[in-house]
Amino acid sequence: MKDIYRGTLVRLCDDSPEVMAKAYSKWDRDTEQHRLADSDPAQLWSEKKIKETLEKRAENNTKSFRFSIRTLADDTLIGGVGLWISSWTHSDTWLGISIGERDYWGRGYGTDAMRLAVQYGFIELNLRRISLGLHAYNERALKSYEKVGFKLEGRMRGEGLRDGVRFDSLWMGILREEWLAAQGA
Amino acid sequence: MKDIFKGELVRLSAVDHEELGKAYAVWNRDSEFTRFLDARMVSLRSAKSISSFFEKETSEALPNAPYFAIRALEDNRLLGDIGLFVVNNWTPRDAFVGIGIGNRNDWSKGYGSDAMKIILRFAFTELNLRRVTLNVFEYNPRAIRSYEKTGFRHEGRMRNALLRNGKRWDMFYMGILREEWMEMNP
Repeated sequence: MKDIYRGTLVRLCDDSPEVMAKAYSKWDRDTEQHRLADSDPAQLWSEKKIKETLEKRAENNTKSFRFSIRTLADDTLIGGVGLWISSWTHSDTWLGISIGERDYWGRGYGTDAMRLAVQYGFIELNLRRISLGLHAYNERALKSYEKVGFKLEGRMRGEGLRDGVRFDSLWMGILREEWLAAQGA
Repeated sequence: MKDIFKGELVRLSAVDHEELGKAYAVWNRDSEFTRFLDARMVSLRSAKSISSFFEKETSEALPNAPYFAIRALEDNRLLGDIGLFVVNNWTPRDAFVGIGIGNRNDWSKGYGSDAMKIILRFAFTELNLRRVTLNVFEYNPRAIRSYEKTGFRHEGRMRNALLRNGKRWDMFYMGILREEWMEMNP
């Protein structure tokens, strides 16, 4: 069997709270990155505060599966991806990803990590569907998610307000049978 | 100015955790009610455990989560509960709304729709929100009709989000914008 943590450009791994805190505190200074990845107001947190938050989160974690993303070429830490089980009974989950290093945007690294995360969801967690949300202005993400097989399922009108302009929030989903069909299974 | 907590059939009142805990312990025995309300596994819990859950949730969540009991104007009996959850620290001025009418004898009498009208007025004229969002399950057409009547529009459908009684069901997203509500309530 193949290594399910390894793609063509990146691998999924686990980095310590120290390493991730250092990376997040750097990435969060880039507000464009924050606004692509998140709906909460931009904030600057110290490395110490981020590290403590990550440690606390890891303590009673039964519902989330989080990974850091590193390049295969030179092991650079470029972002993170995670699956959050929204319901074990209905076997649905939310997926979130961010590529913090902007040099790696638009070059297939995120898409490769998405493929690994979705594969993990379907063949390791045996999920029935995977859901995700994004801002309508994040066209690069939309294209990437479509490539991985996600379908647009809804549009919350004017859900966000940034720079004085309202924007829609989108969400997408992929079903187990759709993913299996795409794998030729 | 009129009393914004009062509608035509119901009023919103303060939550008494003990009273609501006792009521929910009874309502939860009707699994159809719980399955309309929530996607979580249906469970049976004591009045005491539900009360302390509500007490903890509501005290910690405030002021991001205004939460009320629904009472009938005719005899002041407790019908259910309704609450808003303001998302993302108020920045997008959007909130999720959730509602439950516990006793099935009180369903389809207009109580839920009336309570929803009151909470929308509260959301748009007191909290000055820009939109209100909700989730509803495909197998709950009564609720969907009530929300449509209140002014919510269909915004999306999460395919096969639920698996119940061996069947897959979609989960709908609905939303109402401030200007849409204003137009309906000049």
